[in-house]
Amino acid sequence: MKQINSIEDLIRAKEEAKRKTAERDRKIQVKVHMGTCGIASGANEIWDVFSREIEARKLHGIILSRVGCIGLCGHEPTVTVIHPEKGKAIYVDVTVDKVPKIMEQHIIGGNVIKEWVMEEDEPFFKLQGKRVLANQDVDARDIEEYIARDGYQALAKALTQMKPEEVLEEVGKSGLRGRGGAGFPTGTKWGFVHSAPGDEKFVVCNGDEGDPGAYMDRTVLEGNPYAVIEGMAIGAYAIGNVRQGYTYVRAEYPLAIETLSHAIDQAREYGLLGKGILGTEFEFDLDIFPGAGAFVCGEETALLFSLQGMRGNPRQRPPFPANKGLFEKPTTLNNVETWANIPGIILKGADWFSSIGTETAKGAKTFCLVGKVNNTGLIEVPMGISVGEVIFDIGGGIPNGKKFKSLQIGGPSGGCLSVEHLNVPIDYEHMTGLGAIMGSGGLIVMDEDSCMVDMAKFFLQFSKDESCGKCTPCRVGIPKMLEIIERISQGEGKMEDLDTLEELASMVAEASLCGLGQTAPNPILTTLRYFRDEYEAHIIDKRCPAAVCQALLKAPCQNTCPVGLDCFGYAALIKEGKFDEAFRLIKQKLPFPMVVGRVCHHPCEAKCRRAQVDEPVAIRHLKRFAADWALEHNIEYIPEIKEKREEKVAIIGSGPAGLAAAWDLAIYGYQVTVFEALPEAGGMLAVGIPEYRLPKDILKKEVEDVRKLGVEIKLNTRIGDVTSLLREGYKAVFIAIGAHEGARMGIPGEDLEDVYEAIEFLREVNLGREVKVGKKVAVIGGGNTAVDSARVALRNGAEEVYVFYRREKKDMPAIEEEVESLEEEGVQLHCLTTPTKILGDNGRVSGLELVRIELREFDRSGRRMPYTIEGSEYKVDVDMVIEAIGQRPDTSLIKDGGLKIARGGTIVADPRTLATEQRGIFAGGDAVTGAATVIEAIAAGQRAASSIRRWLQGKELLPLIERDGYEPITISSTPPTEEETQEKARVKILEVEPAERVASFREIVSGYSPEEAMEEARRCLRCDLEV
Amino acid sequence: MESTSNVQVDEEARETGKWSQQIQRIIDENRGKAGTLIRVLEQVQGLVGYLSPPVLKIISRGLKVQLSEIYGIVSFYHFFTMVPRGKYTIQVCMGTACYVRGGKAVLDALCKGFGIGAGETTPDLKFSLETVRCLGCCALAPVVAIDGKVYRWMTPTKIMNVLSLYE
Repeated sequence: MKQINSIEDLIRAKEEAKRKTAERDRKIQVKVHMGTCGIASGANEIWDVFSREIEARKLHGIILSRVGCIGLCGHEPTVTVIHPEKGKAIYVDVTVDKVPKIMEQHIIGGNVIKEWVMEEDEPFFKLQGKRVLANQDVDARDIEEYIARDGYQALAKALTQMKPEEVLEEVGKSGLRGRGGAGFPTGTKWGFVHSAPGDEKFVVCNGDEGDPGAYMDRTVLEGNPYAVIEGMAIGAYAIGNVRQGYTYVRAEYPLAIETLSHAIDQAREYGLLGKGILGTEFEFDLDIFPGAGAFVCGEETALLFSLQGMRGNPRQRPPFPANKGLFEKPTTLNNVETWANIPGIILKGADWFSSIGTETAKGAKTFCLVGKVNNTGLIEVPMGISVGEVIFDIGGGIPNGKKFKSLQIGGPSGGCLSVEHLNVPIDYEHMTGLGAIMGSGGLIVMDEDSCMVDMAKFFLQFSKDESCGKCTPCRVGIPKMLEIIERISQGEGKMEDLDTLEELASMVAEASLCGLGQTAPNPILTTLRYFRDEYEAHIIDKRCPAAVCQALLKAPCQNTCPVGLDCFGYAALIKEGKFDEAFRLIKQKLPFPMVVGRVCHHPCEAKCRRAQVDEPVAIRHLKRFAADWALEHNIEYIPEIKEKREEKVAIIGSGPAGLAAAWDLAIYGYQVTVFEALPEAGGMLAVGIPEYRLPKDILKKEVEDVRKLGVEIKLNTRIGDVTSLLREGYKAVFIAIGAHEGARMGIPGEDLEDVYEAIEFLREVNLGREVKVGKKVAVIGGGNTAVDSARVALRNGAEEVYVFYRREKKDMPAIEEEVESLEEEGVQLHCLTTPTKILGDNGRVSGLELVRIELREFDRSGRRMPYTIEGSEYKVDVDMVIEAIGQRPDTSLIKDGGLKIARGGTIVADPRTLATEQRGIFAGGDAVTGAATVIEAIAAGQRAASSIRRWLQGKELLPLIERDGYEPITISSTPPTEEETQEKARVKILEVEPAERVASFREIVSGYSPEEAMEEARRCLRCDLEV
Repeated sequence: MESTSNVQVDEEARETGKWSQQIQRIIDENRGKAGTLIRVLEQVQGLVGYLSPPVLKIISRGLKVQLSEIYGIVSFYHFFTMVPRGKYTIQVCMGTACYVRGGKAVLDALCKGFGIGAGETTPDLKFSLETVRCLGCCALAPVVAIDGKVYRWMTPTKIMNVLSLYE
């Protein structure tokens, strides 16, 4: 190690260092990445094994080194192998047993093991633009590596070729803004300090990085500490009269402190810190101050007090630290990343720096992408990249097929963005415009399992803990807001609380002394703005949709079920062999368990906590088992009718919504008549869902149960005008007509014979009518109707069936199992394509012309929007086309503005009371929501019945469903045993082989046997007992 | 400040006697640096394990700083503790990423398992349980650190397995 005392020395040192690295680059290199996370994941053990392997095979020409972290945090440990001829490969998720194979196949054999690497053209790497993180792949404890890569050239240039004012100008010109979160222009801040009077000034580095979820600065300090040191030296020179600098690093980062400390010592040894740097008059030294665990010390004035050994209470500004800072002297405090950007700006120029980024935010920014995202990691991207690109392209989307809900940006001072912001560029102004802040770079992705009320509470709790207590608005205001949110999450909130919360939030934001208090309300304000419906659900419905707020739920399954079934209850009863009671428990809440046990899309299973162990409990199969068992053993459950009432209620539509409403109203003694236009009762259950999913006799049996309550179902009776029913003496009407009108594509050729609309097609087949099915059938669409149509066509003589969907498979709205079955049965699924023309020959379908699709920006559902690719048209031979692209209700029974119809053609009704504008007329199910699910329709029917009962009693309508009179059924309160909580896959249910299925409409899925059901029921974790 | 019995006070005084030389050395090493008091407190806590009242008195005399001012610093910063820590310190990260990925369930399991709350020590003085706001390993969430060693992807079951490694 030679002292570098002049520019010539530096040039020589660089040449020497480059020679060494070139020599090293001629050899095979194995770099084990060792950030804190790498070490926590076992990187040291990996290094040891490589070391032993290399030793054992006597491959002394291989260079094994410990280097910085490259940001693939979710796939640690990572190892980069560089072969002089074969190139670079980044191995991810490396385990000790993989090492020998990597040695054999790649290092010795020269063949990269492709399944174990992440390619460099993956979006995770490709979309990044590394600057501050460019040196992560070398040893951060070796200053010569830094020198080899032009380290200290910037300082040399500044000291020998530029005047301090010129350095200031260059930094100003670059447009660099503070990377700590506030985004103040760095050049301007330095200018203030430069102009301030005084002959002793300071430069300070803010390495407090207190935002939970942000660790960019830690990584820079662990992987590129010399850039920070060099940057601070340049800043000291530019400002003038600066001889001492300080880095304040939080104590929770021991490795960062250690690495930086080592780097400072080395810099001193080489003469790059201290007196007479590079042979000039410039002197500068650096000291590290370890933080002591106080988030507020990330605030400028608090940090400076803390640095002086005092309590970290912020103070008023002015005076600004630029004039009166550390020890009352002019000081500039900048973030770690800001400092690390300086050498690049000076060496390569302001224009280089500002060549990427947006108008107002130049350069690149590091971000920590964490939470519910596939590629968690540390990235550096050009300013202005969109929220959606970060989450879905770089991040690889949400794991486990869950839906994206929110991106939290800016830490506790920031905000929660929603799915409507996926196209927003990430830069300072756009974020503040949305009520968030860009912050230091922590990005936390949340999915449907996060409750936004709970998250707001979490951040407020944090801010409350970290408040220094000095000023009243923060010290008292934040706990007050927290009290309100606590009440809301306990189910004791009122709507007025939301107004109070907003008022308090504004007050705290405006009146607090420092940034902590001023920004603490941001999570509240943004969640109120973008997720108001979740607050309302907690307040009005006393429900936590995400199944997080424990006070509002017994178990996530029940909480998620639209009907609120006691899933854990019947699982417990089945486990004990009490099948009769299990059936009664189900039937008293859900009138159609055999149907629902076959066709429900089981949202309960998506939330089942057993999935965290292995897979969700087969709740739907258990329900079906109990219902089928009762049928087999002739056990019925027809509730007793409470006192008989005279009032007549009319229900239009005998689908799940209509029948569920009929059931409830009949129990309460009302005279119910259901009007059904079709020859069969059941709605979509009868004419939509095919027999191989729901046998007709099963449906008929459960419809018969409704008749047993005295409900009259009039088939083949279409209602022409809904108001006529009121005139005929019905005191209330429930419109449950579903959405049976199919949308058409509007493309040429639709009028040809053999072009069907899917709903019509399914109805005709289900009603047993003759339908001519072609040999090559094309189905357009991606929902359950499309899938059903395809599988029905296959069973009706089609030789080849294609499904054409305009988005990607994962975007298909159809139930996942259905899509799987579709493909198992041999239907060909073609994605990213849409038809442009139906081709005909003699009036009959002869083919389909389609065009390919590319997906671009996001729409409000969080999916990318399809755009046709010009010139990519192609043809397919088909002789039948079935369009399944959308459904709406047939609202012809509503005459002339009698009831409001929404833009999509659905009937407008209050979402909670289901009342329409017309007194006495209620509407629910698909007719109001658009095509949805069976279980939601049943819940709507129950809601309608509850409202109608109150209406008929002259009472005010309520948002909550009133449904009582349940027979008490005791459920065991024995929690599962240790053995029952061990990993064990779900009991597989018997299904007909795919090859055999298409031969008939025979039901594919058979039920569990009693032994199988009891075995499966033992997997339930009884989450209800935890509470 | 936790109240201590007389027996404990005497014992503490005896204990701290043996530290006073090293404490003085730490004071001397840090004299003249920016923020001396905080640096000294951190290093002394690293040495003794906690900042008992007798230890603080030694620092107060050594640095010529009022005990009340020192108390103001110790009570302000999360890092400092005036009560003994257990043999092993368990830090459950309650940063946002760890929270979103189920960190609370891990904390709850530990509290229930030990019968203590966050910020407390087990009666046998084996484990101290703390929450910490973000260790910066968010991709490994939920994270628990025991004496600085970071354990990743923790669940209520896994953390119990990890604890059994600590004698």
